[in-house]
Amino acid sequence: MRALRTAASGMAAQQLNVEVISNNIANMNTVGFKRQRAEFQDLLYQNVERMGAQSSAQGTVVPTGIQIGAGVKAGSVYRITEQGTPSQTGNRYDVAIDGRGYFQVNLPSGETAFTRAGNFAVNGEGQLVTDDGYAVNPAITIPQDAVDVSISKSGQVQVITQGSTEPSIVGQLELATFFNEAGLEAVGDNLLMETAASGPATVGTPGAAGFGQILQGYTESSNVDAVSEISALIVAQRAYEMNSKVISTADDMLSVAAQVKS
Amino acid sequence: MENAAYIGLSRQMTLRRELDIVANNIANADTTGFKVEQLLLGTEVGERARNDAVRPGVSFVLDNGVGRDYGQGPLNQTGRPLDFGIEGEGVFFEIETDQGPAYTRDGAFVLDPEGRLVTEAGHRVQGQGGEIVLDPAQGQPAVAADGTISQNGQPVGQLKLVRFDALAALSKGGDGLYRNASNAAAMDATDARVRQGMLEGSNVNPILEITNLIEISRAYERITRMIENTNDLSRRAVERLGRTS
Repeated sequence: MRALRTAASGMAAQQLNVEVISNNIANMNTVGFKRQRAEFQDLLYQNVERMGAQSSAQGTVVPTGIQIGAGVKAGSVYRITEQGTPSQTGNRYDVAIDGRGYFQVNLPSGETAFTRAGNFAVNGEGQLVTDDGYAVNPAITIPQDAVDVSISKSGQVQVITQGSTEPSIVGQLELATFFNEAGLEAVGDNLLMETAASGPATVGTPGAAGFGQILQGYTESSNVDAVSEISALIVAQRAYEMNSKVISTADDMLSVAAQVKS
Repeated sequence: MENAAYIGLSRQMTLRRELDIVANNIANADTTGFKVEQLLLGTEVGERARNDAVRPGVSFVLDNGVGRDYGQGPLNQTGRPLDFGIEGEGVFFEIETDQGPAYTRDGAFVLDPEGRLVTEAGHRVQGQGGEIVLDPAQGQPAVAADGTISQNGQPVGQLKLVRFDALAALSKGGDGLYRNASNAAAMDATDARVRQGMLEGSNVNPILEITNLIEISRAYERITRMIENTNDLSRRAVERLGRTS
């Protein structure tokens, strides 16, 4: 019976939906996290009676035909790169991006990763690093005798050293943008990797056309909206139940058919 | 005599098919742009077993086709700038695929590495003058109600919206795509509106579908019982008439 498999595909799709929603809820307080959404598409159709087929020798044609669908599949799970709310932390190495772009991070493997999580810190050598200790690219080193660090909206890092009143420039933060942000591959630890689908990174200074601005002392909160996630969870659960109802109905009908005797 | 069993059987076959369609509707209750389907039934007048002017003729059940309700689905906000929902019944986005043009209500588009607007499956979205190319350096695209896409206040293209005279001629190809199975050409739709940051949900009414499910299940049981009763009747007739006392 086709209905059994169709309903099973519906249950599998809703299970994936719940998995995506639960990951969103789990990352509600993750810095720079972008919520994801599962999108579904119908599976292929079987033409039982093809529309437009000849129905008589007089040339009449079947107007609608009979097409029966085989269920549902996950079309894609994509990230919604909506801006998260900047939340004030007061930490001078925390930077949030207001607008488009990603910070570049050098991984120990030599590759470059991209992140929106700007909760940076300095390591033992004074270098600006992520909370995993990976260096921010381009490298920025804060001198040991710095008393104050300020990062401008355009990403310029200035320090005031001891005994000096004039700020001196020690580095410039850069941002990377992509043609297709949704094509970036998430690798965990708030990091994203470039793929063939995302296209190559375009690097530029913050505040330039097409790039966001830098906010010092803020981090970007996750853009997960708890209320809409919970209501999506309720919808997914009910849809799962209804598909299981189809399975039990199909099973009932099969057992009725199996009991016909005499 | 056997007419009752055969008529019952014709109904049971269509019920099985109806169940398949209801199962597909429920499985797609959360599919973007999905349109609910229903089996269309008709009567097929059959021949009587013998020439009998008194009793009426028999009618079998026959499935004539699958009807699709192209009614508007609810527009759900997603917040993604490249999600587009159509407000207007029977209007579609035109998509260019390897097998020719296809039509869809699923407006969850993305950019490919060259900046072209494509569907999730990578098929190019058609604009009024061919494909639509966006420049990521020009900021977020804004879409007007008539489908005009602009970046930084400069129009870069217009989504091609089409409609058909006879919607029944559209055939479904899966992946949310429809194909034009008739000779009628697509026409430009001017009365529809495009909503940015929204996707059209499925127009399946889950309560109605569950009610259909119960009805199908009960009808199937009733007809099974009717066939059993008919069989009992003929068996008893054979027993009684065949008795030699």
